[in-house]
Amino acid sequence: MSPEAAFDLSVYYPIFIFLGLLIAFCIGVMIAAHTIGPGRRSAVKLMPYESGMDPIGDARQRFDIKFYLVAIMFLVFDVELLFLYPWAVVAYREGGIPEVLQGPVFWSVLTFIALLLVAYIYDWRKGVFKWR
Amino acid sequence: MDFIYANWPVLLTILVVFGALQGTCGFLVYVERKVCAYMQDRIGPNRVGPFGLLQVLADGLKFLLKEDIIPSHVDKVLFILAPCIAITTAMLAFAVVPFGAAEMPPQAPLPLNALASPQEADAYKSAMATYTSQMTTYQGNYQFMIAKNVDIGILFIFAVSSLAVYGIILGGWSANSKYSILGGLRSSAQIISYEIPLGLSILGIVMLTGSLNLEWIIGRQAETGVWNFAYQPLAFIIFMTASFAECNRLPFDLPECEQELVGGYHTEYNAMKLALFFIGEYCHMITTSFLMVILFFGGWHLPYLVTPESGWLIKLIVFAGKVTFFILFYMAIRWTLPRFRFDQLMALAWKVLIPLALINLVAVMVVMHLKLSPWLLLPVSLIALVGAGTMTAAEPEYRKPSPTTTV
Repeated sequence: MSPEAAFDLSVYYPIFIFLGLLIAFCIGVMIAAHTIGPGRRSAVKLMPYESGMDPIGDARQRFDIKFYLVAIMFLVFDVELLFLYPWAVVAYREGGIPEVLQGPVFWSVLTFIALLLVAYIYDWRKGVFKWR
Repeated sequence: MDFIYANWPVLLTILVVFGALQGTCGFLVYVERKVCAYMQDRIGPNRVGPFGLLQVLADGLKFLLKEDIIPSHVDKVLFILAPCIAITTAMLAFAVVPFGAAEMPPQAPLPLNALASPQEADAYKSAMATYTSQMTTYQGNYQFMIAKNVDIGILFIFAVSSLAVYGIILGGWSANSKYSILGGLRSSAQIISYEIPLGLSILGIVMLTGSLNLEWIIGRQAETGVWNFAYQPLAFIIFMTASFAECNRLPFDLPECEQELVGGYHTEYNAMKLALFFIGEYCHMITTSFLMVILFFGGWHLPYLVTPESGWLIKLIVFAGKVTFFILFYMAIRWTLPRFRFDQLMALAWKVLIPLALINLVAVMVVMHLKLSPWLLLPVSLIALVGAGTMTAAEPEYRKPSPTTTV
């Protein structure tokens, strides 16, 4: 079967319809909630909650560098994961990777994981995973 | 009109699933309160209707009739968008999940290369003809899912449900309250950390099945009669732990731990917007319960009792029973385990689950490459699990809490 015929967009139409329904639902609910409920506003009610105190300063301040490090590590691992998925699907299925290529592919994927492991150990030793 | 007439089964399924998800989410709130009450030796909600069953309706009405406050300091667009993202992504992920009897879609024959002999070409032609006829029957039969035969099933679920982090971080940031922003930051750090073990633990199953299609994963388990859980208990435990964290359920509900952060990222939300966050969360719980059943416990399959030839009703009942078990398990865990500290939570993801998932992946690779029996994975899993347990327990850091402050 040719690759063009393998992809059939009509398979995904129900998902689009479902998405449309969900978006319509969200809009409807937001409008309904806004119109049905009472609207008695006061200055204190509209204030940010801070355990009963008047809020001090803005909430959007600088935060810990750890969060950035986690984000970077996530990118590294997630991209790696994305590369592994297509391989995992075709690796050992019928009509996937041909017999001759199985050895080389096996070792390249192992190398790929080993390279990642080096970065992982480096991060661990540098204390990226220490949270206190 | 023609469109509706031609596609009424799909449209009906969409409507039913949509309604059922909403209804189940509401009902799960009631079940959660009941389970909690019984575990704490109380009675729980019992005032509205028989056994308090109409509590669901009362809650829904209350959410709708409350004042819809948008505080003055928020980023309005993002503030409104955040709950919508939370519920849309949680529900959309269900689109490719089979929730009852679903057959394996037929596989297309292997493509012909340019050097094929005439005999091969003939064989290909006849294989193609059988495929086309099988496909017509498959398309004609009703399958219990919204979008059938989606080849990227698992990938779609992960892609959509990882968008849920936008709902949380936008909700936390736009509200401009200190509790919200702390909750939002913690939650996004937690969710992206646990996404990696979640994705890695699935790879072993994808390799065993050779497909991302959820019907295929169930079908393969039904064919061989052995659930994936038997081969890869380690992968299941990683997957389960990570999905608890993804759903912000109790041992990992740091983003909204009431004692420290009030409500976490939804501190400033009320009325219907808060309800949307909750429905999204419960929806996520339902979807991950379904995924656990599909990936590790054979979907509708029960050895010797429910085989591919069984009727659709019994399959639906078995499927629902398994899913209910996992949902109740979620709830029982909530009232059993204490909450983790944030550093423990991050350490569990990065220092325990990710190495374990990599060990599992490499073990599956080696077994598949050397064409060994997949049963070899069972002892490997157990050894890795026990090893990780003892190593973690021996770590002085986890033995007793020290009084230093956390981030």
